[in-house]
Amino acid sequence: MPEEKPDTMTRRTVIATAATAAFVPVGAIRSAAQTPAPQRIFSPEQKRTLEAFLERLCPKDELGPGAVEIGAQDYIEVQLGDYLAPEKQTFLDGLAAVDAYARTSQGSGLADLSAEKQDQVLTDIDSGKAPQNTRAFFNRARRLMLEGMFGDPHYGGNKNFAGWDLIRYPGPRLATSPDLQKMGVAIQPYRRSAWGNDGHNH
Amino acid sequence: MATNLKPVDVVVVGLGAAGGTAVLPLARAGLKIAGIEAGTWMDPAKDFKADEVHNNVRGMITTGNKIRREAPTFRTSPDQPAQQGGPSPMMNAIGGTSIHYHAQSWRLKPWDFKTVTEVKKRYGAGYLPKGSTVADWPIGWDDIEPFYDVVEHEIGVSGKAGNINGVLDPVGNVYEGPRRREYPMPPLRTCDYLEHMKSAARSLGWKPFHSPAAINSEPYKGRTSCGYHGYCDRGGCHLRAKNSTCFTTIPEAQKTKNLTIFDRAQVTRILADSNGRVTGVQYLRDGQEFFQPAKAVLIGSYTYENVRLLLVSKSKAFPNGLSNNHGQVGKHYFGHWDAQAGAGVNALFPMDLNIWYGAILSQGVVIDEWADDSFDHSGLGFIGGASLTVYTEKHPIASAASATFGQAPQWGSKWKAWIHQNAGRAASAYLQANSFPYENTYLDLDPEIKDPLGDSVIRVTSGPKENERQACLYAQDKMEQWFKAAGATVVTKGNPTGPRLSTHTYGGTRMGDNPETSVVDKWGLAHEAPNLGMLGGSVFATSGARNPTLTIQALAWRTADHLAKNWNEIAG
Ligand SMILES: Cc1cc2nc3c(=O)[nH]c(=O)nc-3n(C[C@H](O)[C@H](O)[C@H](O)COP(=O)(O)OP(=O)(O)OC[C@H]3O[C@@H](n4cnc5c(N)ncnc54)[C@H](O)[C@@H]3O)c2cc1C
Ligand code: SF4
Repeated sequence: MPEEKPDTMTRRTVIATAATAAFVPVGAIRSAAQTPAPQRIFSPEQKRTLEAFLERLCPKDELGPGAVEIGAQDYIEVQLGDYLAPEKQTFLDGLAAVDAYARTSQGSGLADLSAEKQDQVLTDIDSGKAPQNTRAFFNRARRLMLEGMFGDPHYGGNKNFAGWDLIRYPGPRLATSPDLQKMGVAIQPYRRSAWGNDGHNH
Repeated sequence: MATNLKPVDVVVVGLGAAGGTAVLPLARAGLKIAGIEAGTWMDPAKDFKADEVHNNVRGMITTGNKIRREAPTFRTSPDQPAQQGGPSPMMNAIGGTSIHYHAQSWRLKPWDFKTVTEVKKRYGAGYLPKGSTVADWPIGWDDIEPFYDVVEHEIGVSGKAGNINGVLDPVGNVYEGPRRREYPMPPLRTCDYLEHMKSAARSLGWKPFHSPAAINSEPYKGRTSCGYHGYCDRGGCHLRAKNSTCFTTIPEAQKTKNLTIFDRAQVTRILADSNGRVTGVQYLRDGQEFFQPAKAVLIGSYTYENVRLLLVSKSKAFPNGLSNNHGQVGKHYFGHWDAQAGAGVNALFPMDLNIWYGAILSQGVVIDEWADDSFDHSGLGFIGGASLTVYTEKHPIASAASATFGQAPQWGSKWKAWIHQNAGRAASAYLQANSFPYENTYLDLDPEIKDPLGDSVIRVTSGPKENERQACLYAQDKMEQWFKAAGATVVTKGNPTGPRLSTHTYGGTRMGDNPETSVVDKWGLAHEAPNLGMLGGSVFATSGARNPTLTIQALAWRTADHLAKNWNEIAG
């Protein structure tokens, strides 16, 4: 992780959020981080396509749950209805482009293909073989999947802290003892959201 | 029409690291101060979260405020169009960026203040970087050392001295300039990874030491010590253990009752009379315009805004911007060559490092062998070098998102298995190179892009620099050596192409004796407007190979102290 890097947002979010954020006072923007009421953004078909896509990016396998069980799609849906609302349409258009490419290249929508064919669609996008507009979606969806899997459950993803368990991140503590910085030992995970306490007592 | 307010002695514009420090010596001297700050107070219990989405992904602490509306534009040469850069992580709040910075709290080296003289002496004039406008500072080590000492003790800095009055101690940094006494607190806690890196450094014959940090390693002045909680980066300290000015010098100044804070107030102009003396500042609060008269004005609004405020403040006496009759405002600007500029180094280890928690750069170990003039540069073709810091604190999203060192694809089961094993095994090093001002690097007003008030944003022009690039490449090799000696299986190095918008920015209102080549004098007061002072990196003549803030604070204290002690001559 390079330090003092500019915010890790992609250029696209920056532009999207800057447009809406410009005149909102600090307090108002910050409150957007409170748990939002879930909003239906995806049609059932869109949801199936997105889940199929995410599950190939991070499949359920012998290591444990994949992106969908960890709730990456829920993070994306909640956030596209809230903090990431300015990029909702772009995201949906990108998703449609991916599905359209699945149809033209493999003969049916992404969710209805075998895992191998789904992987072929993703590989085509990743390698630049698929139309250009699918590439931006791939990058953004992957980035949002990472946020949904490894971010605080407060935002709608990381169900049962399964994302943190996957990478063996031991959880956000408010203070740590030297034992928690011992090299080469397994650290007892602290499964708790940073928003699940008063911010002072632990 | 602006509402005229009751006159004060001093207006301080911006209560960040610089302005937030300057208010204390002024207040203690009995001067009446108006501290005018674009942001407001933050509440450690409510605002500061151990949450990567909040702090790092969305920049909730660092965005949504004034700085977003006036992001500078950037270009690498005058024949290119300048484009507005990404968001700046600089902060608008009482405490400024000192709220969420990494708090490495460095003194520069004696060499940094006299680089031109020292380089000529050791290597000859031909060794000075081509195209550079580097100059000696008008002050030297003995001028600034007392103020480093005052600030270290006032805010509380943790560290280990390596040179007390010439007596060296290799547990500290033996390359530092002589200091009068030990740090007020011992360094922050160590951990296995840092000890491991220290032994590796020693195996190379190097002298590792712990980062100096403006974070309490033990309770200090009624505030608790660090919890090493791992969300120090861009978060703000929920324990008030980070010695941000909002927890230290600002409340201390308020106790004197001489400081009145005007928050959520954006200064838009500095006014001057026909004799070239500043008369006060104009600011906007809740859409209303005010004029705050003052006998002296100190500006500490970060380099970009420091320069912009001068350039937009035109008057009869200063048709080209305040204190700019010699055309020096915006000149000798430069950004720091550091990880943001491509000088990072990453490593993958074969064991779990368990550096999830910690206090970022402040819980770090540093090598200074390859910085400044610590080593002989004969035949190398560059001057300077870089400090190398290894550190703790890793966040889950960034760790899962990081590159797989060519060992796995970016998605699918193989990727998943890779991050399962390795997300906690990768480490980064932070390199900071000595950087210098050049003719091809400067600030001016963007002719097209304006903020919502209709004022131009700053335009940054910053071209390539061979000296700094070579210094970075040299130091990156040393860092690779260090990581390898520690058992890293793979090391990758960034491509140092140079800073864009930076969180360490220097010059623009450079300090010097000559008004033809600088904006402020050796006290930080403007040559052309003697009751105007500039605070912050904008007065630096060189960067050093380390973060700027302690030097910014020592200079801010010194400027304020000088103003208070010579009040009648300067402001009378
Ligand atoms: C992520 C990060 C990590 C860092 N880590 C370190 C570190 O480890 N060590 C180190 O030494 N440095 C570090 N820095 C750099 C450090 O933050 C700066 O050097 C320091 O904050 C600069 O001080 P300043 O007072 O000039 O600016 P700031 O601290 O940014 O304060 C400027 C203040 O002026 C106010 N202001 C601006 N314009 C106006 C206006 N027109 N009217 C009224 N008020 C205004 C702002 O709201 C702000 O509060 C880091 C920076 C970042 C972003
Ligand atoms: S790491 Fe220490 S200083 Fe930094 S925010 Fe946490 S408790 Fe505060």
